[in-house]
Amino acid sequence: MPHKPPTQEELEKRKIVGVNFETVTDVSSTDFPGHYPGEDHAWDIERFKKGFSVEFHQNDPYEASFSLIGCDASIANAFRRIMIADVPTLAIENVFIWNNTSVIQDEVLAHRLGLIPFTGGREGLHEFLKWFEKPAEGEQPNCTDYNTVELSLDIKCEDNDDADSKETDPTKLYHHAHVYAKDIVFKPIGRQEQYFSGENIIRPVNPDILIAKLRPGQQISLTMHMHKGVGSDHAKFSPVATASYRIMPTITITQPILGRDAEKFQKCFPKGVIGLEKVTAKEAAQKGSGYRGHEGELKAVVVDPKRDTVSREVLRHEEFKDKVKLGRRRDHFIYLVESTGQWESDAIFLESVSHLKAKAKSLEQQLVNMVR
Amino acid sequence: MAARRDSDVAMDDAPTSHQPEVKDDTMVDDEGDDFDENEGEEEEEEVEIQRVKLLPGSTETAASFEFANEGHTLGNALRYVIMRNPDVEFCAYAIPHPSEAKMNVRIQTFEGTTAIEALEKGLRDIQELCDVVTEKFVKAAADFAEKKAATG
Amino acid sequence: MSGQDYEAPSGAFSQRDDATAGSGAMIYRCGDCAVRVPLEKGAPIRCQKCGARVLYKERTKRMVQFEAR
Repeated sequence: MPHKPPTQEELEKRKIVGVNFETVTDVSSTDFPGHYPGEDHAWDIERFKKGFSVEFHQNDPYEASFSLIGCDASIANAFRRIMIADVPTLAIENVFIWNNTSVIQDEVLAHRLGLIPFTGGREGLHEFLKWFEKPAEGEQPNCTDYNTVELSLDIKCEDNDDADSKETDPTKLYHHAHVYAKDIVFKPIGRQEQYFSGENIIRPVNPDILIAKLRPGQQISLTMHMHKGVGSDHAKFSPVATASYRIMPTITITQPILGRDAEKFQKCFPKGVIGLEKVTAKEAAQKGSGYRGHEGELKAVVVDPKRDTVSREVLRHEEFKDKVKLGRRRDHFIYLVESTGQWESDAIFLESVSHLKAKAKSLEQQLVNMVR
Repeated sequence: MAARRDSDVAMDDAPTSHQPEVKDDTMVDDEGDDFDENEGEEEEEEVEIQRVKLLPGSTETAASFEFANEGHTLGNALRYVIMRNPDVEFCAYAIPHPSEAKMNVRIQTFEGTTAIEALEKGLRDIQELCDVVTEKFVKAAADFAEKKAATG
Repeated sequence: MSGQDYEAPSGAFSQRDDATAGSGAMIYRCGDCAVRVPLEKGAPIRCQKCGARVLYKERTKRMVQFEAR
């Protein structure tokens, strides 16, 4: 039986996940060999290269948004999971408390310190610093300049003699009533000087994070050790605040929506999704377009479906129910990556890709070893 | 088909996880090799623990693999690329128990290739895919920066 | 890989703060004005500066290690 290759329209249709009032349709991908008889869906890197594209929407140090178009959810999800759980960062791991007479308990203070995001020279953080190996029970840790970063926090609250007698603000009444992240001091050891000096010094990403509040006579005196770790071990090691993707929404207007209806239709979507345009003379002249005799009236047009939240509000209205079709593009992922500051946000994604590659590579070697 | 079924292990005989037993086996196997390597290279390269195991009951064309310390991240991606291989009849992955850091992949192939080959191809395909993603991403980022600089 | 080693602080008594006064006096903290109050055995429990009668013992000088988790 000769097989007819699918039309472009058919191929586009296959990418769409249908979103109905209460149900969804065509959820799973179908691009597997044998799914459509006579069609070749074998993995081919050249074909992937042709169909795959990346599009940036925003690329700032702390926030990046971009689309991966033409890849499967399993791949997109692997990158997202790696960004959250497998890209390493440096964070406070051990706190040695010499004195803490503040009202905040030692363990709570230690936990708070651990969650502070730090940054510093990229080369030092990513290339020079290595993994710290946790010592076995009862053994001394092997802390060196290439696996441990030492910080200290020594602060004491005292009365401010220059304060006005009517002053009620504790920050003016006392010195160091508030302990901030900027009070933490980095102590370079060995070759760390080389990588973390000047603008590359290891410092909190945000200097104004409040760590504790003190009153006169109270003091905090502690040293800290930072190690490299991954998000799967503890969330403080995750390089991202969020790393998520949305699937590209699609909105198809199947019948004309005009006049007051168009305005109401527009209000069913977030701002900027639906636009209003005048029906042109050409459209009005066209037979069967539904625009006949409506020249100059406003019609609803889809402007930017990317901004839609797919709330399905439009489907709750009787008059629009049969005039619009909602859906999502299965192979279009809109990522949003917010860095905590130790990595550039786009570098986190690149790192996740190379992490997946390294993972596959090492397992390929393991497989060879297994067969041997 | 009948032959393949015969070689399968009965349900009761197949352990759900084979990690500890196989670990012992490979330890014995590897010991000789490790010694030679260590003497030659002064422990320069760390001896990696074997993380991939072939589960019992596997035949040439139908095998289950156990991956230690892997999860949905690799599992689902690997399942996808292996399913795109036309020589593969069936592929699926599972995490038998959430509190055990293990991931199983089942591969059944048509005659002419083996499950191990299919897995190896899958891992290679992922590496190629990653190269393409990196290449396109870097280019898109550069283009975006250029466009931004041009528009001010 | 050669790197300068350094030791993690041990759990021994700290030498960082001045030790309590040499005599038999114990150091307390005034509950009101937080001033250091050295008290001899049998002395009235009272802050010499502000007269408050609530005194607190000082915190241990022992280093305590915590995991920041």
